[in-house]
Amino acid sequence: MRSRGTGVATPVPRAGAARRIRSALAPLLWIGPAIVLIAVVVLWPVVEMVRTSLLKISSSGLTLGSRGAQNYTDLFSEGDLVDVMLRTLVWVVGVVVATMVLSLGLAQLLNARFPGRRVVRWAVIVPWAASVLMTSLIWKWMLDNYFGVVNEVLVDLGVIDKPVNWLAHPTQAMLWMMWVAVFVSLPFASFVILAGLQTVPGEVYEAARVDGAGTFRTYFQITLPLLRPALLIASIINVINVFNSFPIIWAMTQGGPGHATDTTTTFMYKIAFFDQNVGESAAMAVVNFALILVLVLLYLRASRWREEVS
Amino acid sequence: MTQQSATVARPVANRPAGARRGPVSVRKVILTGVGWLVGLFFVAPYLEMLVTALKPEHELMRSSYLPSKWNWSNFVDVWKAAPIWQNMKVSLIVAGAATLVTLLVALPAAYYTARNRFRGRNAFLLLILVTQMFAPTALVIGIYREMVSLNLTDTLLSLILVNAAFNLPFCVWILHGYFSSIPKELEEAAFLDGAGRVKALTRVTLPISLPGVVTAIVYTFIGAWNEYIVALTVTSSPNRQPLTVAIPSFVTQYQEHWQYLFATSLIAIVPVVILFIFIERYLIGGLTAGSVK
Amino acid sequence: MKRHLMAAIAAGLTVALGMTGCSKGSSSGGGSSDGKTIKFAAAIYDADTKVYWDDLIKTFEAQNKGYKVNLEMVDWTQIDQKVKTWVQTKQTPDILNYNAYSDFARDGLIYKASEIVSPQVLSDFLPQFVAGAKYQGEQYGLPFISSARQLFYNKDIFKKAGITDPPKSWDDVKADAQKIKKAGFIGYGLPLGPEEAQAEFYSWAMNNNGGWVDASGKWAINQQANVDTLNYLRDLNKSGLTQPNPETTDRKTVFNQFALGKIGMGINGPMARKNAIQPVNKDLSFGVAPLPSKDGTTHNTLGVQDFLVGFKNGGKNKDAVSKFLNFFYQKDNSAKFLQTEGFLSVTKSAGEALSSDPYYKPFVDALANAKFAPTDNPAWSAVAGAVKQSLGTSVANADPKKVLDNIQQTAEKNG
Repeated sequence: MRSRGTGVATPVPRAGAARRIRSALAPLLWIGPAIVLIAVVVLWPVVEMVRTSLLKISSSGLTLGSRGAQNYTDLFSEGDLVDVMLRTLVWVVGVVVATMVLSLGLAQLLNARFPGRRVVRWAVIVPWAASVLMTSLIWKWMLDNYFGVVNEVLVDLGVIDKPVNWLAHPTQAMLWMMWVAVFVSLPFASFVILAGLQTVPGEVYEAARVDGAGTFRTYFQITLPLLRPALLIASIINVINVFNSFPIIWAMTQGGPGHATDTTTTFMYKIAFFDQNVGESAAMAVVNFALILVLVLLYLRASRWREEVS
Repeated sequence: MTQQSATVARPVANRPAGARRGPVSVRKVILTGVGWLVGLFFVAPYLEMLVTALKPEHELMRSSYLPSKWNWSNFVDVWKAAPIWQNMKVSLIVAGAATLVTLLVALPAAYYTARNRFRGRNAFLLLILVTQMFAPTALVIGIYREMVSLNLTDTLLSLILVNAAFNLPFCVWILHGYFSSIPKELEEAAFLDGAGRVKALTRVTLPISLPGVVTAIVYTFIGAWNEYIVALTVTSSPNRQPLTVAIPSFVTQYQEHWQYLFATSLIAIVPVVILFIFIERYLIGGLTAGSVK
Repeated sequence: MKRHLMAAIAAGLTVALGMTGCSKGSSSGGGSSDGKTIKFAAAIYDADTKVYWDDLIKTFEAQNKGYKVNLEMVDWTQIDQKVKTWVQTKQTPDILNYNAYSDFARDGLIYKASEIVSPQVLSDFLPQFVAGAKYQGEQYGLPFISSARQLFYNKDIFKKAGITDPPKSWDDVKADAQKIKKAGFIGYGLPLGPEEAQAEFYSWAMNNNGGWVDASGKWAINQQANVDTLNYLRDLNKSGLTQPNPETTDRKTVFNQFALGKIGMGINGPMARKNAIQPVNKDLSFGVAPLPSKDGTTHNTLGVQDFLVGFKNGGKNKDAVSKFLNFFYQKDNSAKFLQTEGFLSVTKSAGEALSSDPYYKPFVDALANAKFAPTDNPAWSAVAGAVKQSLGTSVANADPKKVLDNIQQTAEKNG
């Protein structure tokens, strides 16, 4: 079965049809469970979401009938939508780029040999092991205007002369939240890259040294290209997770003041539970999905994903 | 993910550029210093969490680096303040079972798509990628409606299924990558040596792809362990709620027990870190262990 | 070895699925088909709430053989999401403890009050609460608990700043805040963050003859009195008399600082003593005064009430719902809840039964002329949502008039 390669059965007289059916069904045995699980648990609610986006839902949550595309019209006439979308883009790009750059260095460090390396590896895993919601809460706690340890340290060091209300100012708040997003993304990204580093054969470095290449040239010309698959996986997962991230912003600023630190995900939540408009919120969810789909496909095209897979 | 295949079996120098002798000691001291600082940096917020969890309630929101009195009893009282054991048991069952289900479903799918070309293969891989992009946050009402239809609201099974399904794409994807990178010839060789097809798979392919399997386990377990929004919506009985739902209830509209919230958050981290300590060596070292020579 | 692994996996899976299968309760949706088992979703006020309900339900079930009440406790921070999900999937509980009722009434989801409580209970509700529990002239909501807002002030700070009496007019507030600032404290704690911006704003606006609706009941959010109110609060903020960034500060933060003795004045309800002040600083010396008004003569109070509502869910549950509600509204039972939680009564009988703690007196007295948010209007939830999201910005960078115009638009759009 496997040797057939392309999977198109060579027509054999007589048993041909049966064979073809068998060969068409064979994959189902292997991938069927995955398809069923995804279809039942993920695609079902997705269909619900799309359906909801076309319904008129009362503020109590009761379905009142069809509403056509009106929810989308309402959504696109929200004055804050464009800002929120642009901010989401900045949020995703900023967090992912910072994460990838930092995790390259971090992976290199975790790969180097020094006493206590295993303990350091365990320490790095902690932000991944902790719930993002709780990590966001402790950062909010540390950044508090009245008792936060960040202000305490900075005041005691003389960097600032009175506490700064970090999370009340949109730009500062956004930067801090992006930092928290980077902080919680680093462990996963570095461990994927670290695993990638294991696959770089030692001889390659020997050869480079014989050629007289310096550390930097070796890194950029040899290590980095070999890390491509790991980088690709780490960055795509990161893009998707950061785009969909809800707890960081919700815990730290609730997207406020106003909508000044909202991304599309928190905006979607506010439409449903502040504006009491479940239908429009579902429309935002659909748009949100379209956005991430476009973002990822563009990214894959730019990074020539197909070459990696096939 | 394919170029690596030829070199899979080669042990890797763990220090690419630092093999020279001589200035090593200075280098090493700096490296160790940096390494430890970085480690400290990553646990620093959780140390602050610990310090806060040990403060007496009336000192919580006063600025002071350390509590005036170390209230270790907070870590004892919290078990009485909420059914934490029960919640932790739920978390363990859900995360453990979801990980198992995910693996059982992902392994065959990833293996088959890596080894065979068939009609619908690309469509399947695309489905996997697209599924990865859906966030439960946006789908939670639909998930609830679905669980109502399946008569699964307020059950652990619903949480297991949801966590398994939403973590499945990543697992299929990463395992697919690992399986693709293992040369078919290795398996064929074992097969020709007289091992059966399945034996070749379990004896040769799986051990080599162990880091991939372990990555999938860690990813799914952590994802399920920390899942919040679906568990919040679908479960209603306190004895069927995981830790993530129990923890925020220490801080509500009318009362705030931040010390308990942070204490429980720390307790919740421990099982995951222990899991990680046990399997970390496979995560990193698996490929270099050289099970195929 | 491999076989062991597979066996272990299989065993683990069986156990996991078995456990979850077995532990499935019969709680999905409303109650049982015979209508004698009902589901009650209660909001968590504090750690004592669940204890109270567990106890009450036990007594109820003992006295009413065959009836069963399944309790689900829901936190206030999560309740909106839960309730929407329930309604959308037709899984509403039979009884719900919530802060809104009118859109359920409009959508025909809940019983009229007269259908589920006895005439004695109906006539026992205090009239000012009944007014805020009606939809189109008919009472649907069952008033549950209430609270009134007053001005809390720190007596020690007042002494240090040389202030003898709590402020009566807005000019007094500003003058006193200036003195407090000079003494090294924060004058007034102004929470206009998303937690409760609507309550803080209305506490000021109503004392300037402003409010949410005009005399005919139409939305009048962008009326001049409201704009003036925001301009006044904005001036307090810009003059440095409030804590920094009122637009992102929640009441909890303000009252934590108040309890720590760093803020001179702030507005809150009676439960502030139990929940915000005592856990932080038992010895704080504070007083309570009427809310200051623009001219300093008449003082209105913000009243807040929560409700119980009975969902129809097909109608079979009516008998059980009614039995349980009548049981709760027995004088001793409802009074006990108020005492446990530190709220004010909504019924005549429980009010009489309430303790004679002098701390509550100014709140109870103020409640007689309290003004309430227009909870009888189904659009109120959306309006409150809009206020929470954006009102605070008007005392920082945004223009008060524009912010109010936008909220007015939201209100009109929602009916």
